[in-house]
Amino acid sequence: MADAPVHPQRPLPRRGLERLDLLLLCAEALDLNGGEAMVWLSEEMGLTDLFPNRVELWKRRCSNPLRRTTRRELPSEAEADGLIRILNALADRLYPMLRSLLSSAESPQLSEQRWTLFRSRLQELLQERFNPRRGGVQRLLDPQEGPVLCRELIQTMALSAGPGGFARLKASLMDAAA
Amino acid sequence: MKLSSRYEQTSCRLVIEGLPDLSAGQSSQTIGILTGFSLALAGKTELEGKREHLQALMAAVMPYARQLLSGMPRAFGADDQPVAIRPQADGHQLELRSSQPDTPPLTLQLDDAELADLVRCLDRLQLDPNLALPMEVPTPQPLRRSELRHRLPLTRRLAAPVVGVAALLVTAALASLLPTPKPPAATPASVNAPQGAR
Repeated sequence: MADAPVHPQRPLPRRGLERLDLLLLCAEALDLNGGEAMVWLSEEMGLTDLFPNRVELWKRRCSNPLRRTTRRELPSEAEADGLIRILNALADRLYPMLRSLLSSAESPQLSEQRWTLFRSRLQELLQERFNPRRGGVQRLLDPQEGPVLCRELIQTMALSAGPGGFARLKASLMDAAA
Repeated sequence: MKLSSRYEQTSCRLVIEGLPDLSAGQSSQTIGILTGFSLALAGKTELEGKREHLQALMAAVMPYARQLLSGMPRAFGADDQPVAIRPQADGHQLELRSSQPDTPPLTLQLDDAELADLVRCLDRLQLDPNLALPMEVPTPQPLRRSELRHRLPLTRRLAAPVVGVAALLVTAALASLLPTPKPPAATPASVNAPQGAR
């Protein structure tokens, strides 16, 4: 049932691509080995036809318009599904960490330390790979707005984990442009 | 033979009890008839209910999670439904209304982590191959433009059209200040010239 078609075949809209790549970047910020984990999970899930090697995987992610070097070529529906599946599996692996970030039962100091660590890693990755002149990137780096957006990203990852996460996240990434 | 199925996730435990519906040709390990369920959320009362309560729980929580994923939380569960969920300033409020007439509704506050745990348990329940319960939970769908119109604040949504109309008005006003070209003086030469050429 998780694999039931969510919507008629159509490619991910621009905002969906941006969010998907940002969520993958969050997974890398949470797990220092996240980049390798993506390649490994893609092989594990039999996606080698779509992403034969790490360069192909990276190229598909680079269709995000917020990147420093953007590729015009948009991922096909199968490739986008592959990326969503990888994110779903990554979020599942990282679920205990996502949960501890979101939980209000954790001690406030410990929670704040974890958030600071996550945000600083995400900022490093954003500064390294994303175009700082784009409004979307500036908002994430903004000291006021950034933490709120970071929390939204972590909440999205937590709700995208698990067996029903794929269909839910895909539907959300396919939202119409506001 | 009574069967039971457990779904656990850190702060949430959901136990389903039921019987196989042998008349519908199901295997003896499949729960086809639900006799009851219990839901324990960490630090809160353990809840028990029947099929219609579980159905209402799924019908409220799953679309709520879908909507939250798009950053547009809104309440689910009508007044006549046993379960409702709505967003709060720092979490989510799950309201369980008893079918007994004089019992006040029970409200539970969930934080983001507890909601995620509950959603994962319900996901597993929905996709469990050993359950054959007809649960009517719609497949998640993308939101339409009209449903997303509150995502941007009104000022930002109106900024582009207002600036556009203002620019048009300013250009029109400036253009109207330009002197109109005077009509060519009706000299006999200019009038007669085309006739002469004919």
